[in-house]
Amino acid sequence: MSSVEVGTELPPLTVTLRREDLVRYAGASGDFNPIHWNDRMATSLGLPGVIAHGMLTMASAARVVTDWLDDPADLLEYGVRFTKPVIVPDDDKGATITFSAKVDKVADGTAEIDITALAGEEKVLGRARAVVRVS
Amino acid sequence: MTIDATMVGRSYAAAESYQVGREKIREFADAIGDANPAYRGDDAIAPPTFAFMVANPALLRLLADDELGLRLDRIVHGAQKFSYTRPIKAGDDIAATATITTVRKAGDVEVIMYETALTTVDGDPIATSTSTISHNRADS
Repeated sequence: MSSVEVGTELPPLTVTLRREDLVRYAGASGDFNPIHWNDRMATSLGLPGVIAHGMLTMASAARVVTDWLDDPADLLEYGVRFTKPVIVPDDDKGATITFSAKVDKVADGTAEIDITALAGEEKVLGRARAVVRVS
Repeated sequence: MTIDATMVGRSYAAAESYQVGREKIREFADAIGDANPAYRGDDAIAPPTFAFMVANPALLRLLADDELGLRLDRIVHGAQKFSYTRPIKAGDDIAATATITTVRKAGDVEVIMYETALTTVDGDPIATSTSTISHNRADS
């Protein structure tokens, strides 16, 4: 991490989520809600189709910050709102989410970072924010 | 019964502590596509959102309180926040306790915030997970 000031942009990150990734996350996290792997269940609940686990999107968004930090242990706070579901089609392309992040505040050895998560034109996370140690 | 604001403050401890293994951390890091070397090996720390999985057994106890009348399949996760005293690491033995912090009702929908304290089994703080969930009582 080089010098940190308000307006510093972190290297962006693009993540592709396919059905296989949702199955793998379901297994690793223990979240087997069928809306994350079963179209029939997802559509019966009014969703357009299978959607990614919000916590998987949140985990992916964290990487834009932890990849930038020398040590991910310097992440002190991290929060998001789940504003729009990420629809993951049953094909080889999957869903692509682009994460970008910018330093919004620097004070007392910490920096506050705003994260933006876009799937196509849609913001899938709201008020995504991390506080990191920068001393 | 159904959940209401008088139930703010109720606490639910996970039935068992969560023992963090380095291979579980690796499996989780692989599943989120994160190759960070900090999440591998004997001195592995866990990725930030690993805390949600460790907090989950306390949520299951909260959902098991019949007086709240909540059903997992009627819940949508609205917001999530973590504060870390230190990262979770391989070898940790973690106690999770969830406490209801706010309840707001709008028709059939209840918006519930609960905070899960993650500590060592000796009570030293590790992290706090704050979750906002919407529970919809309407039959679709």
